Amino acid sequence: MKPERWLDCRVLVTVGTGGVGKTTVAAALGLAAARAGKAVLVMTIDPARRLADALGTGPLGHEPREVPRERLRAAGVTGAGTLAALMLDTKRTFDELVLRFAPDPSARERIFANPIYRNLTDALGGSREYSAMEKLRQLHVEGKYDLIVLDTPPASHALDFLDAPRRLESFLESQFLTVLLHPAAVVGRASLRLFRAGSELVLRGLERVTGLEFLTAISEFLLAFEEMLGGFSERAREVSRLLRDPVCGFVLVAGPDLQQAKSAESFWQRLQTEGIQLAGLVLNRVHTWPGAGAAPVDDPREAERAVEWLARALAERAPDLDALGSARLLVAATRAQAALARRDAAVRERLEKALPLPPEAVRVVPLFSEDVHELEALARMAGLIFGEREGV
Amino acid sequence: MTDLMTQLLARRLLLVTGKGGTGKTSVAAALGRLAADAGVKTLVVELGHAAVLPDLLGAERARESDEPRSDPQRVGANLFTLRLVPEEALSEYLALQLRVRALARGIVGNAGFRRFLAAAPGWRELITLGKLWHLVTREDARGRALWPLIVIDAPATGHGLSLLSTPTVILDTVRIGPLRRNTDLVQALLTDAARTLVLTVTLLEELPVNETLELRARVRELGLGLGPVIANGVEPPLALPDAERVLAAVASLDSADAPSPLADPISVCASARHRLVRARMQAGFLARLEREAESVPLVLPWLEQGVDGPDGVAALAARLQTELTQRSGEVRS
Repeated sequence: MKPERWLDCRVLVTVGTGGVGKTTVAAALGLAAARAGKAVLVMTIDPARRLADALGTGPLGHEPREVPRERLRAAGVTGAGTLAALMLDTKRTFDELVLRFAPDPSARERIFANPIYRNLTDALGGSREYSAMEKLRQLHVEGKYDLIVLDTPPASHALDFLDAPRRLESFLESQFLTVLLHPAAVVGRASLRLFRAGSELVLRGLERVTGLEFLTAISEFLLAFEEMLGGFSERAREVSRLLRDPVCGFVLVAGPDLQQAKSAESFWQRLQTEGIQLAGLVLNRVHTWPGAGAAPVDDPREAERAVEWLARALAERAPDLDALGSARLLVAATRAQAALARRDAAVRERLEKALPLPPEAVRVVPLFSEDVHELEALARMAGLIFGEREGV
Repeated sequence: MTDLMTQLLARRLLLVTGKGGTGKTSVAAALGRLAADAGVKTLVVELGHAAVLPDLLGAERARESDEPRSDPQRVGANLFTLRLVPEEALSEYLALQLRVRALARGIVGNAGFRRFLAAAPGWRELITLGKLWHLVTREDARGRALWPLIVIDAPATGHGLSLLSTPTVILDTVRIGPLRRNTDLVQALLTDAARTLVLTVTLLEELPVNETLELRARVRELGLGLGPVIANGVEPPLALPDAERVLAAVASLDSADAPSPLADPISVCASARHRLVRARMQAGFLARLEREAESVPLVLPWLEQGVDGPDGVAALAARLQTELTQRSGEVRS
C-alpha cells in the first residue's frame, strides 16, 4: 500500500520491537494525516513525556489532549486538520468499563474491592493489552476521529494484544470459571458431567498449591468482564474484526541492525498467521551515505589517497592547522559512515526480500544526528515517510 | 574497597533490564562471559520463547533443526544458558509441590485450566520468579550452590517492572497458604541487595535516558537493589582540534576535484558533523545520568562488528571488565 493510502485508514497500528522509534513514527504518521486535513488521535501506551512536550499538549493522560493550533500551523498543518494524543491508562480504562457496565451497584462494589483489580494498574502482565483494545474499540465506535494511530507496547509482548480478546473469550466460555467460583453449586449437578474427568481433582490440587483464595480472586477478576458486559464476546469479536478490516492498516517499524531486522521478519510472520495484512514498513534510523550514489566499498589505498589529497588541500587553506592529522581523522569518520551505510543497505535489502511488500510501501527514514522530538523534526520525518525527497 | 567487578560477581542474581533496543541481551551475555572467565560458574537466563543466547555465546548446535532447549545448556567453561518457559516451569512447580506427577500432569493437561492460564494475568511473572528462586537455592551433593551466579536477560522496562512488582501484588492479595509462603521467599531474595541487583542498560539518547531514570526510581520504590547504569553503544568522539575551521576549509573544496568518494567534501563534512553532534549529545546525556541517577555509568562502546556472535560478546565483555575493574565504590541500593 502506498503511504498516501495509509492515511485513508481509520486505524493505523504501529508494531515493532523496542527501541526502533515506534512512538515517534506513530506521531509522525498522525501529523501527516493532520496535514492532510484529518482529525487524528495518537494513542500511546508508553509514557513518552518528551513527545508530549514536543506536541505541546501538556502531560498526556487518559483523555485525548489537542495539540495547540499555532503549534500545528508551525508544523505545516494549514487546513482543518487536528491532532490529539492520549496515553493509555489501564486502571482508568477498567474503571470506566466497570462504571458503565456493572449490572448493579453491588456488582460494582464487588469488582472495585477485588484485590487483583485494585492492584491492576499495569502491575499484572496482559492487562495493558486488554485495555488498549477496549479503548481503541470505544474510540473507533464513537467515530470522533478520522484516524486513530495506535502505538503498541514494545518487545516480545507487542503482538499479545492481538490475542487478548480471543484468550479472554475462550476462557469465559469455558466452565472452569464456574467450578472455581461456585464449586459447591456445581457438584452433584448434571452439568458436572460436561467437564472433563478430573476437574475436581484439578481444583483440589491447585488449592493445595496456591490456596483457593488467590485462584478465586483471579477468577472473580476475570468474571467481572462477563458480568459487566454480558456481550463481551461480541466486543472481542468486534475488535478482532476491526483489526482485520481493510480500514485498519498495520505499519511495521524496524531498525537497521540485523537483530532488529530478524524480529521484524518474525513480526510479519506472526501478523500473517493472525490473518492481518501489512500496509507497509518504515525502516527507521538508517545510516545513509551523504555523497552521490551508494556508499563506496572500503579500500585502504583509496582511503590513503583521500587522506593525501585532503591534507594537501587543508595545508594550502589553513597552514597553521595540523593538516595531516585532521585529514586522517576526517577520512576515518567518512569510512565509518560508509561502513554503516553499507551495513544498513544490506539489512534493507534483506527486509525487502523477506517481506512481500511493493517497493513504494517500504519507507526509509535516516538517523537524524539529534533525537527526533520537536514537532518540526516530526514534520521532517513525516515528509520522508510520505515521499518528499531530502538531502541528508 | 573492592572494585565493582568483585562486588557484582559476589551477588547471586543480576537482573539486566532497560528500554527496548538498548542491547540488554548483549550486555547480559557479556556479563555471563565475563563472570565465567573469572571462574564463577554462571547461568545466563532468557525469558520467553526466543532462544538467542546459545547462538550469541557460541553453543555448538548438533543440528540446525534442533528445537531450542529449555534445560541448562553448557556453552563454555563455567558458562550455561537457560531458556525459561513459564508453562514448563509451572508443570515442574506443580509436580514438586504436589509430589504426584500424575496429578500435576492432570492439572496442566486439563482443557479448562489451560484456558484459565491463557487468560489469567500475572501467573507467568510469578512462576518465572519462583523458578529463579528455585535455581538460586539449589545445591549440589556437597551443599554448595549449584548456580553461584545467575544473570537474567529480563524484559524491557514496562514488562520488567510488571515482573518485579508481581510479588508485591500477590503479598497484598494472599494472606495465608503455600502461595503466600513461597512469594515471601521470592520477595526476600529480590529485595536483598546482597544477593540481587538490578542493572539498567541505556543508550545515550533522550528517550532511553528518561526511561532509565524512571525505571530506577520505580525499582528503588519496589525495594530492590540497583547496580550501576550501563551506557551501551556509545560512539567514539571525533577528537578533531579546531573542528569548525577545518570543516570550513573542507567545505570550500570542490567535489569534482576529490580523487575518491572518501575525500568528497560533502561526504566528509556530513560524516564529521554527524559524529560531532552525536558526541556532544551523548556527552550531555552521560552527564545527566551521573547527576540524576547518582551513579557513574559504565560506558560500553559501539562496536563496529556488531554483537551478534561469540566474538562480539567477547569484545563487549573485555570492555565491560575494564570498566568494572577500574571502578571502586559501594554499589548503591
